[in-house]
Amino acid sequence: MKILGFIAVIITGILLLQAERDFPDWGDPASPANNYRLSQHYITQTFTETTVPNMVTAVLADYRGYDTMFETVVIFTAGIAIIGILRVFGSSSQLEHKEPTLTAKKPDLIVDTTCRLLIPIIQLFALYVVAHGHHSPGGGFQGGVIFGASFILLALARNLQTAQKWLPESRVLTLAGAGIFIYAGFGVAALVLGGDFLDYGILTKLLPGGVEDARSHSMLGVEIGVAFTVTAIMFSIYSNLASNGKMKEGI
Amino acid sequence: MTEQAPVLILLFPFLSAIVVALAGIRMKGLCWPLVLLSLAGSVCASLSTLGRVLDEGTIRYHLGGWAPPIGIEFRIDGLNALVAVTVSLVALITAIYSKISVEAESKDKVSQYYAIFLLLIAGLLGMVITGDAFNLYVLLEVSALTSYALIAMGSKRATLAAFKYLIMGTIGASFYLLGVGYLYIKTGSLNMFDIHEQLVLNNLEQSPTILVAFMLITVAVWIKMAFFPLHAWLPNAYAFAPTTSSSIMGPLVTKVMIYVMIRMVLTVFGPDYAFEVLNWDNIVVWLAVIAILAGSIGALAQKDLRKMLTFLIIAEVGYMVGGVWLADETGMVGSIFHIISDAFMTLCVFLFAGIVFTKTGRRNITAVEGMFKKMPLTMVGFIVGAFSLIGIPPTAGFFSKWYLIQGGINSGNWEYVVALLISSLVNAVLFFRIIEIAYFGAKPADGHDDHHGEDHSKISEAPFTQLVPLLGTAALLVIIGIYNKDIVSIIQDFLLPFNLGAGS
Repeated sequence: MKILGFIAVIITGILLLQAERDFPDWGDPASPANNYRLSQHYITQTFTETTVPNMVTAVLADYRGYDTMFETVVIFTAGIAIIGILRVFGSSSQLEHKEPTLTAKKPDLIVDTTCRLLIPIIQLFALYVVAHGHHSPGGGFQGGVIFGASFILLALARNLQTAQKWLPESRVLTLAGAGIFIYAGFGVAALVLGGDFLDYGILTKLLPGGVEDARSHSMLGVEIGVAFTVTAIMFSIYSNLASNGKMKEGI
Repeated sequence: MTEQAPVLILLFPFLSAIVVALAGIRMKGLCWPLVLLSLAGSVCASLSTLGRVLDEGTIRYHLGGWAPPIGIEFRIDGLNALVAVTVSLVALITAIYSKISVEAESKDKVSQYYAIFLLLIAGLLGMVITGDAFNLYVLLEVSALTSYALIAMGSKRATLAAFKYLIMGTIGASFYLLGVGYLYIKTGSLNMFDIHEQLVLNNLEQSPTILVAFMLITVAVWIKMAFFPLHAWLPNAYAFAPTTSSSIMGPLVTKVMIYVMIRMVLTVFGPDYAFEVLNWDNIVVWLAVIAILAGSIGALAQKDLRKMLTFLIIAEVGYMVGGVWLADETGMVGSIFHIISDAFMTLCVFLFAGIVFTKTGRRNITAVEGMFKKMPLTMVGFIVGAFSLIGIPPTAGFFSKWYLIQGGINSGNWEYVVALLISSLVNAVLFFRIIEIAYFGAKPADGHDDHHGEDHSKISEAPFTQLVPLLGTAALLVIIGIYNKDIVSIIQDFLLPFNLGAGS
């Protein structure tokens, strides 16, 4: 079996090297990926069409917004799947595992103070990353991960209960679903107003400014939706994994 | 409203999945009606799309209002529309069946189960209607992730099988992504039709990068559809999953991947490239022959009813891969038609296996002992599905096999024809063995491990919500068989522009 695997890896490697022979040069401005009308359009037209200076955000949230919606769904699915597989509701009838608990119950002064100081800053920074996605690297996924990390930090520093006071399980699911609803809501609103699904341009009927501004504003809205889902699912995955799906003690 | 029908096909299950995930936790009773309603909506939308395709030809739907290749488009022709109708119908039928089994098999997690179920349907439908190679990858991820979860929510063994599937599936998905990446490097585009135009315009036929991209994508879909040497993940995953999961994934996941393969071969790379420049036809047809025989022999060796059926799926995948690589128009018609008929006949026998499992709690084939007397209607449904898998007219399976065999004869691939016939005979042996046990009872040698004749006496006809889907599927199999000419003419219209010759 090991030899078979080795042969497969060697063959794949040779194939990949073969493919590389025909690649355009590194950074070649005349390569198809740079030269074709697709990337040319993104590079030259993004700002005039959407007033968003960050091309990556515009491609992600507008030109290919449908892909991004389903990337968000992938995250949501991961969260639901982990709840579906791991979560044990009620008193567990399974074999009683020894809960992985740490012995130190008393809150540690240094850890506690650091968290008090850090968590607000992390959360503020997360909001900044979400809101500033139009201008600099950032956006819903990154901001959501940072925001989710702040809750995980709280759970690690104190315990799962403290973190759950802020983000109980029911609220986690509501947040995650709400995020997707915000994203899909922009699409459905466009549909109802007579445009194609996710055609933000037509939302100018609801949002202030011209067509370009409507696109820019909708992108922000969509990013906020993504951030909701990512934050909630990050924490949900952590708390399920850390507590064996019992949501009680945990690490 | 018909203008928006293409996107509604997928929005119905997608949005209701979120509603089910949120509201279902508090109101469990709400889940099942919502699932039915949304899938019924999806069936209506896909039927209306099919109607429009037949009237107007190819439909193009620009998501976000951006014209391709700048944005993503749905591009729906005869092939997509037919497969989309099949997928949504199978989903609806399975959803009706699921009521009792989901509540029994995942008590606390009904809402999560249904949410994942609907997301799987949304992912599969999205893969079918999209016209964008990268978008297909995103939806492949959605459908793969949900399939792992649907399997893992079963018993302990299911979790291990799901883990194996996860490893294999992830390798497949990353191969596909790498292949699409290579295509992008050489063409600068992600739209399937645009990629093809660029390949032809820039004379990329001899490029090794494109060759490797083609190999990566083909191997990726072969892994995902469990084509013979890459099939190891499938039998345990589908056999130990909750019965609803195997009833939805057995018919759909592998068939949608065959659709993807046909789409890649015909639309993205073009039949000229796939069949003439590369000229692998004979090798792949031989691989398909091996797959058919291996699947059939594997099925013969099984005593577990659902596991036997999973090996039949592997054989059927061999039929369709072989049919495509015959490089013959009739063979291609057969393959596409077989996607549809195989989806329904696999559904039919898996529903039966689910009913047997819920009724008797036993996995062995001998569980069907004496069922003709106790549940005659259920057995009628099963016999239609079995006849279709064997290929007895007037069921759908006969006609799709007919076209496949015709294609094999036209292109002179006699080994394929022989393999098909042998596998049909094996199917006959397998199913008549089951029918015999159900009618006359098991031979003592067959089932000495479980002799509880007593608790069988309580078994009666399957409950309404399980019987109706089974009989409905059986009826559909006969209807598809009778109207095979109409379906074939849609497929032939779709294949016309590709100019597939007769034989390679």
